Amino acid sequence: MTQSAVAPSSSFLDRHHFLLRRLHSLTGIMPIGVFVMFHLFTNMQMAFSTFQHEVDWIHSMPALLFLEVFGLWLPIAFHAGLGLIYTFNAKYNTRHYRYGGNWRYTLQRVTGILALIFILVHVATLRWRWPILGEHTPFFAWGWAVPGSGGELVPLATATTALAIQSSLLVILLYVVGVFSAVFHLANGLWTAAITWGLTLTQQAQRRWGYVCIAIFLGLASFSAMALYASVTYQASEVEKASLAKTLEVYRQTGVYPHKGDKPHPPGHEPEAVETRLIMPPATDP
Amino acid sequence: MIAPKKPEIITFRIKRQDARDAQPYWEVFEVPYKPNLNVISCLQLIAENPVTREGRQSRPVVWDCSCLEEVCGACTMVINGRVRQSCSALVDQLLEEVGEGEITLEPMTKFPVVRDLWVDRQRMFDNLLRFKGWVPIDGTHDLGEGPKESPEEQELRYELSRCMTCGCCLEACPQFTLDNDFIGANTFGQVVYFNAHKTGRVLMNERLDALMEPGGIADCGNAQNCVKVCPKDVPLTIAIAKAGRQTTVHSIKRFFTGKR
Ligand code: HEM
Ligand code: SF4
Ligand code: SF4
Ligand code: FES
Repeated sequence: MTQSAVAPSSSFLDRHHFLLRRLHSLTGIMPIGVFVMFHLFTNMQMAFSTFQHEVDWIHSMPALLFLEVFGLWLPIAFHAGLGLIYTFNAKYNTRHYRYGGNWRYTLQRVTGILALIFILVHVATLRWRWPILGEHTPFFAWGWAVPGSGGELVPLATATTALAIQSSLLVILLYVVGVFSAVFHLANGLWTAAITWGLTLTQQAQRRWGYVCIAIFLGLASFSAMALYASVTYQASEVEKASLAKTLEVYRQTGVYPHKGDKPHPPGHEPEAVETRLIMPPATDP
Repeated sequence: MIAPKKPEIITFRIKRQDARDAQPYWEVFEVPYKPNLNVISCLQLIAENPVTREGRQSRPVVWDCSCLEEVCGACTMVINGRVRQSCSALVDQLLEEVGEGEITLEPMTKFPVVRDLWVDRQRMFDNLLRFKGWVPIDGTHDLGEGPKESPEEQELRYELSRCMTCGCCLEACPQFTLDNDFIGANTFGQVVYFNAHKTGRVLMNERLDALMEPGGIADCGNAQNCVKVCPKDVPLTIAIAKAGRQTTVHSIKRFFTGKR
């Protein structure tokens, strides 16, 4: 007879097996899933003029780094770490058992990996500003006051993202595949999570909840499609183009995208040396 | 539906293995066509005259069976890539699946092979022991009247009781492998079955504790292949969701009560 209690000498992972797997499910929904929903809703506003406002709002949050680390990075690392272990320990068999559920199961793992790759590139470029795609890198930069801007900061959140996406098919592909993978993964994850936790018991309940998850999928997918469409068709103004050109010029000289707090200013770009200046946004952070 | 044209000869490609750890190999046998054959009757014909298509003398193919009417589960094997019972697998239907081609027979891949198509399903029986798959009524004392059950409970329990421990659900499950510790759908079904019995419920806490260990209910990935391949229509996905609900509640109770 197999032993029915886990021996006390068993590893931490074994003793907390159930808890860890439920935490995996939970982190997928909250905070990661909820964050993704809000994030895609924000992105949708690329199609309207409110995007910059939303971005500024996020940047004005107190204790942003704390929120990022504990609300996003650690949960994502935990969920992705365990997710990868599950993904590589499964024995896929869609060749012989071509059921819808089996395809969803396999797709859940494929989209998990695609989303992970996308998230890493996305955060490395837009958050940490690693110029890994050279001038095609979507990055976040504070604006420049260029001639024609009346000495005002030119906010670049929409322009830098949109123009980067327009600049290369690779970036478009990365975003389309990455974002739709994440959306499928989230919607299907919500469907399975309801079984995991024991919310949807019967086939009828699972079907009904399935319709809700399809609606969530369609909603988030259309937000994403709107954002991507707005990026691809975005027409930068002359002032934005000038400000962006300035940013690229600095990038070409220094290999980094100029950002708030970058010191020292690259040669020839010291604030007093040129009439166009990198303007710091008003100091709202503590 | 019966296909209009029948072949003279049925060809079987069979995966063979001489001993537990031996290398498997394939052999092809031919059997004259007759209407209404099933796979077991063909294996019997091969046993009578175990000569391969190439004319080489071989030995009879080993397989397991008992009831011959799809209630014991012993004869389960992978036929044309899909797990099912060989006693109820009708050749006329299999021929429709393969057209002019060969019917393939393989042992299940998630259990150790004993010989040829015969596998060792002990892991499932061990799990029934581990999860206390019984209603505890041992003893000489008077147990009184049996508990009252609602027709609804009866119905679910009847459906769950049909499990014949054949292993189809485990063979088709992407989470269940030959050497991992996943418990698998049939045992989840039996845990829910015995927890649903008024007297069986006495052991519910022990069953749920065991269900939360590595390989337990949390390792199900919700592919739902199990319910699709189950020949007895055991409502496995209901059982899995119920086991999920019972462990959710159980773990919250345990958290606040603590273990003595
Ligand atoms: C875009 C961010 C992500 C979100 C919103 C997300 C969300 C979810 C949700 C809600 C579940 C359902 C949990 C359950 O069935 O109980 C889930 C499951 C899963 N996730 Fe993620 N996830 C994300 C990223 C990832 C990444 C990067 C991986 C790594 C490959 C991953 C791998 C998995 C796997 C394998 C499952 C299935 C777990 C199981 O059924 O046991 N996920 N995810
Ligand atoms: S649940 Fe169905 S498939 Fe699984 S062992 Fe029982 S009868 Fe076989
Ligand atoms: S739902 Fe999927 S993972 Fe869970 S036991 Fe059934 S086949 Fe296996
Ligand atoms: S011999 Fe019993 S199920 Fe086939």
